[in-house]
Amino acid sequence: MNLFSSLIKKNGPIIGTYLLIAIIFWFIFLIIIPQLYMVDLSFRPNLSPLERGGDKDFYTLEHYKHFLFGSAGSNNYFNVVDISVFFKTIFISIIVTILNLLFCYPIAFYIAKVAQPNSARFLIIALIIPFWINELLRSFALRVLLANEGVINTFLTQIGLIDTGLLFITNNVGLYSGLTYAYLLLMMFPLYNAIESLDKNQLEAAKDLGSSTFWTHIRVVIPHAKPGIVSGCTMVFMLTVGALATPVVLGGPNTLWFPELIYQWFKMSNNWSRGAAYSFLLLIISVIFVLTMMRLFKVRIGEIIK
Amino acid sequence: MSASVELKNASVTFGNFYAAKNINVKINGGEFFSFLGPSGCGKTTLLRAISGFQDLSEGEVLIDGVDMSRIGPNKRPTSLIFQNLALFPLMSVADNISFSLEVRGVDKKKRRSRANELIELMALDGQGEKMVHQLSGGQKQRVAIARALAIEPKVLLLDEPLSALDLKLRQRMRTELRAIQKRVNITFIYITHDQSEALTMSDRIAVMNEGEIEQIGLCADVYNKPLTPFVATFVGENNSIDGKLTEVSSNEATISTENGSFKSCLNNSDGKYSIGDEVFLFIRPEALELAKNGNFDNVIDINIDTFEFEGNIKNYFAKLGSNKKIKFSIPNSVDTSDIHSGSNIQIGFNKLNSVILKKGQLAVDT
Amino acid sequence: MSNRLINYSLIFYIITFFVFLFGPLIIMSITAFNSADFPRISPWDCLSFRWFNEGMVDYVGQHQAGLLTDQKLKEGFYNSIFIGFFVVLLTVPIGLAAALVLTQINPKLRELFYSLSIMPVLFPGVIIGISTVVLWNRLSGLSDEGILSEVGRNGIFLTILAQTCFISTYCFLIFVARLQRFDRSQEEAALDLGATQTQVFFKILLPYLAPAIGSSAVIAFLASFENYNTTVFSILSDRTLTTVIASKVRLGITPAISALAFAIIVITVLAVIIYEFYKRRVDRLKKIEEQTLLASQSSDSRVQKIEIPKINFIKPLSFFIIIAIILSILFTQVLKNNLYGDACIANVEEEKKRKIEEQRKLEEEKFKLSEEDLQSGNKGGNSAFGDIFNSDLFEY
Repeated sequence: MNLFSSLIKKNGPIIGTYLLIAIIFWFIFLIIIPQLYMVDLSFRPNLSPLERGGDKDFYTLEHYKHFLFGSAGSNNYFNVVDISVFFKTIFISIIVTILNLLFCYPIAFYIAKVAQPNSARFLIIALIIPFWINELLRSFALRVLLANEGVINTFLTQIGLIDTGLLFITNNVGLYSGLTYAYLLLMMFPLYNAIESLDKNQLEAAKDLGSSTFWTHIRVVIPHAKPGIVSGCTMVFMLTVGALATPVVLGGPNTLWFPELIYQWFKMSNNWSRGAAYSFLLLIISVIFVLTMMRLFKVRIGEIIK
Repeated sequence: MSASVELKNASVTFGNFYAAKNINVKINGGEFFSFLGPSGCGKTTLLRAISGFQDLSEGEVLIDGVDMSRIGPNKRPTSLIFQNLALFPLMSVADNISFSLEVRGVDKKKRRSRANELIELMALDGQGEKMVHQLSGGQKQRVAIARALAIEPKVLLLDEPLSALDLKLRQRMRTELRAIQKRVNITFIYITHDQSEALTMSDRIAVMNEGEIEQIGLCADVYNKPLTPFVATFVGENNSIDGKLTEVSSNEATISTENGSFKSCLNNSDGKYSIGDEVFLFIRPEALELAKNGNFDNVIDINIDTFEFEGNIKNYFAKLGSNKKIKFSIPNSVDTSDIHSGSNIQIGFNKLNSVILKKGQLAVDT
Repeated sequence: MSNRLINYSLIFYIITFFVFLFGPLIIMSITAFNSADFPRISPWDCLSFRWFNEGMVDYVGQHQAGLLTDQKLKEGFYNSIFIGFFVVLLTVPIGLAAALVLTQINPKLRELFYSLSIMPVLFPGVIIGISTVVLWNRLSGLSDEGILSEVGRNGIFLTILAQTCFISTYCFLIFVARLQRFDRSQEEAALDLGATQTQVFFKILLPYLAPAIGSSAVIAFLASFENYNTTVFSILSDRTLTTVIASKVRLGITPAISALAFAIIVITVLAVIIYEFYKRRVDRLKKIEEQTLLASQSSDSRVQKIEIPKINFIKPLSFFIIIAIILSILFTQVLKNNLYGDACIANVEEEKKRKIEEQRKLEEEKFKLSEEDLQSGNKGGNSAFGDIFNSDLFEY
């Protein structure tokens, strides 16, 4: 109520009301209630709409149990498939994040500090263009290249280097390179912004004091770019771990990415509460990752997303 | 049309911190009044309280005798000129000037003619269609004043509007502001930390320190007859020598210091001072002269340290005794060929050009 | 290592990087012009625009739609535009309101408010989609009739809400960035001059925020238009462009998608070029103005001479001319070798039909031989994984 009256006082009745309605609608109805309801649903059995609120509608851990131990009839004690998909998704996402950082750092540094203003501008535009194109279509482009009868395979067969096509898609090469390709820009821009704000004199001072290029980066550039690095890594990890479009296009027949698992419970098996439970697991991982990054690198949440 | 402004027991607190404490001042209609003080002394808070952006914690603001506590800034008969001017960058000069008429629903034709009137008054001819960023610093200043004057406020509040200008322009604008005030004949309340700005323009000055008013008075009185050590040292330069009173009468006293005894003026009509009090003696640098050039009530032995040539005057920094420093200024026309760094000379001053005050806080050089 | 070596390897790396960035897109674009029914470069059948238009009818009589004749794509496209429009209408005011409140709220609450505002972009997109759907499904289940049960099951409505949830954050961030540079004293000046708070909002704040409103509207629309992760859940039985693309790709890749991608690439590149020219023009005008002002105020002879930076048209123009020349040479070569047009396509198809016939005959003979083996062998696929991995599950 304090907030209410101060908003009205500062903005007048008309604008004050608009501000209040807008933020309440967004925070309460679009963010908080749906999330809470989803979490609530994940602790309930999968019921038809008619049975909701009835006798069978009680709290249960069955979906989380299913994630850990699988369905009752299975041979394994643990739910090996789901758990391994879960950890594989996290592991691969971390690898993808690190690769992205390694790939982007030299480019970001070059554009921010080495290139002439005009060519820097050109390079930035060149970076942006591919990322205005839908993630699905970018993955599709990779698929055109990497499919069993795709451009690379036909090319290699024609010049006689190989006899049969390499199974890029089946072996997940497609998926992993697609994931790395998908969010490069979200690593690039925080990095670029962070490095760009570094005073060029500091680089020259380091050089003047006899530091090698390598040490200048370790001791001057990287510490300065830390918020950008953390921000880029967080964004890339979150997007990768929650990616659905790229796995849909580039996933092999035997590949599962954790969000795909959610998709299947939700859309195929129509088991919404299990889908909600798995979503909640994904959410927990995301939150843990963000908190770890904040703790580890001592940055505030405002520095991660600007 | 001008209005008087009165602050009664006005205080503003932020938590435990007093930004302004128990302020009582009455500013007459048509007066050019300045609040002078170092940054952080609470003068801007007072100005914001008068204009309505800051609620008082205690006390009241009266404009023309009317209590303003329930009246918002957009309803008060005041106009504020901001430190950074706060011109609207997306509007033309004319639109800026007629903004206050626009928001009151005045029709376009009248707005136009009022804007042209002010453009002429402020010597901004031909600038009406320009955007703000195309103007020079002085022109922006005048646009800000014109904008504030458009609705004919009864009181104009100015928050250090000249601080961003370079020295020459600043000096010219002082004269100009004073002239404008005479022309439009409304109350000006001016905030500044620059004592020469306050002295040149104002009718009266209030010197503030740490949220309280130290002295209110005419410019010459504040300069010549400071009431507190802070005022003495903040308004203009002053040499201070500490000592004890050895003789006290109603308007004169003798102070005994490590460097000798001096006679000086003292306002002791209320009998505040008595023998043995710890006091400061204040002498302005320009009140000190070479002793050989005249007869003085007091004479001091000094040892010249360094010298500065400022153009119209020459500044000397000298040692007084073993650990005190003293500064004196001599007009350029006086012959000083025999004074060098290290020479021992005598300087003197008359008791009328000095003042004795009870010990208290001095202004810190910043 | 010498500096020069580092520099050269850096430049080499950058070139490689950009080749990897653009290579797939360029190759995909080229495949859109191959008449073959699979996106490929070699073997090259014929130069053809059929994947942009009518598509093709394959030899078993099945129609593979091209870009313009695909009804699902068309429907999805219109839905995407519709959704994008409403998302912009919602997200821009919400982002603006939240950014304004952030600047006014007391500092203790500010961190919390900011965290809440950016939470939606930290959440995986699938979660936002799912949470919206489950909530509204429950709400619509509460009543059998009425608006609530109608809209709660309307995929387009749910998609608008779900996308608004996180796209508002993008708008919020854009507004926050702009507001940080806003001079608050302008608001006070306007108030002091007698404006009401509503007038301050419309006459001072909104004009200042106009560029941010424009860019957040564009960003919001683009984000909505290309969103998949959230939309695929919230859209229910409807479809948007992205869900259509995804299901098509999952079913098998066709050059019609390449054609779509090529169209989007061309639009993007054109938009960027136009924007860039516009921006350079604005920058140039600004520079001229600054120099005029400087020259008018200064008596310094060094700034009296106004130098007007020129836009260099020749460089980009020559670039386009060279590309046009190369394309026209290629095209004449293609025409000469009879690689363009219906005749060529007919030829290739005839050829293919013949090959397939041969193949089939061969297969039939083989089949007779191996029938017995098959009956005793293992026919099942990945039974352990159930039907989860069956690709046709991804059909919408």
